[in-house]
Amino acid sequence: MAIATQGTASNYLQRAPSPSGLADVVELILDKGLVIDAYVRIAVIGIELITIDARIVIASVDTYLRFAEQVNRLDLTQTEAAGLAELRDGGSNGSDKAKGAMEGVKEKVSGD
Amino acid sequence: MAVQSPPRPDAGDASATGLYCYGIVSARNARPQRRGLGDAPVEPVAHDGVAALASSVPAGTVRARRRDLLSHMDVLGAAFEHGTVLPLRFGTVFENEGSLVQDFLAPRHDELAALLRDLSGHGELRVTAHYREDAILAEVVRENRRIAQLREATRGAGAGHPALIELGELVAAEVQARTARDSRALLERLRKQARRYEVGDEPIEYELLRASFLVDQKRVAKFEAELERFAADQAGRADVKLTGPLPPHSFVSLRHGGH
Repeated sequence: MAIATQGTASNYLQRAPSPSGLADVVELILDKGLVIDAYVRIAVIGIELITIDARIVIASVDTYLRFAEQVNRLDLTQTEAAGLAELRDGGSNGSDKAKGAMEGVKEKVSGD
Repeated sequence: MAVQSPPRPDAGDASATGLYCYGIVSARNARPQRRGLGDAPVEPVAHDGVAALASSVPAGTVRARRRDLLSHMDVLGAAFEHGTVLPLRFGTVFENEGSLVQDFLAPRHDELAALLRDLSGHGELRVTAHYREDAILAEVVRENRRIAQLREATRGAGAGHPALIELGELVAAEVQARTARDSRALLERLRKQARRYEVGDEPIEYELLRASFLVDQKRVAKFEAELERFAADQAGRADVKLTGPLPPHSFVSLRHGGH
């Protein structure tokens, strides 16, 4: 409950006041922080056993083929339907207006 | 000077210990703490107004196991609740209290004190944002005719189709262009609320942004509000996550060759 009421309510932003797990901070712990000249982690073993994210260099033939495969596998029916709805509503301007109106309401409410 | 001597052949010396150091706090904020690596009690070692948070570890190597990394983080996190903390990188071990003071706290005293003053009242906010694969790919197909054509031409074709590489290359370029554009826009919003920031440099697929921001406590709410607006704009297209405020891992450094 304490966590749910922290900050302003948002359905979109994932909030973690303190790290919820290692994934978010492992890079900070291992690569950042003060390093003392003579003490450069020579005592640490086992770091190679920790899987961080798979780091993928985007510019490679392998990646191109994977992108191509992903695009070909893509089911566009859902997103196409969404696109049509957008057209009917007068394109992106329409949805921007709606969003603007929503934000106006939100600001009024939170301003009280 | 060596941090740890290699395990001695005469062994039997199971009591040999080193002093693992987590971070630096102002001595007046220092207090004994939750337990650290290997469940050892964490004690402040103070010298002239600055204090290192340290605990005893067996001599030899420090394992970077999951629970050890979590311990390191938890000790710093608990100290951060009471005031400014300068995190040390994981794995810093001194021979004993004497060497901790003599090799680190004393020669670096002024630098550490200045950092503590400078970072007072600040925290590190970590922002990560990732595109949703299907959403961003669908957008790319919709907005780039050549990609749509190549997609039609190669669908159901064998893996050896010569146009696949061109298709993939175009998709990669479109995703990268969107990353550049969106991350610039997001940084533009967030940098105004931050004193400093640092952007992760290694590109990860479908990652929009991975960055840390040094933010004054008084501006954290504004920072969050900016990020919330961005997350709302990106709903369904990208997922945005905020971690922190954390101790300022990404914003501490010492001058080299200081002693």
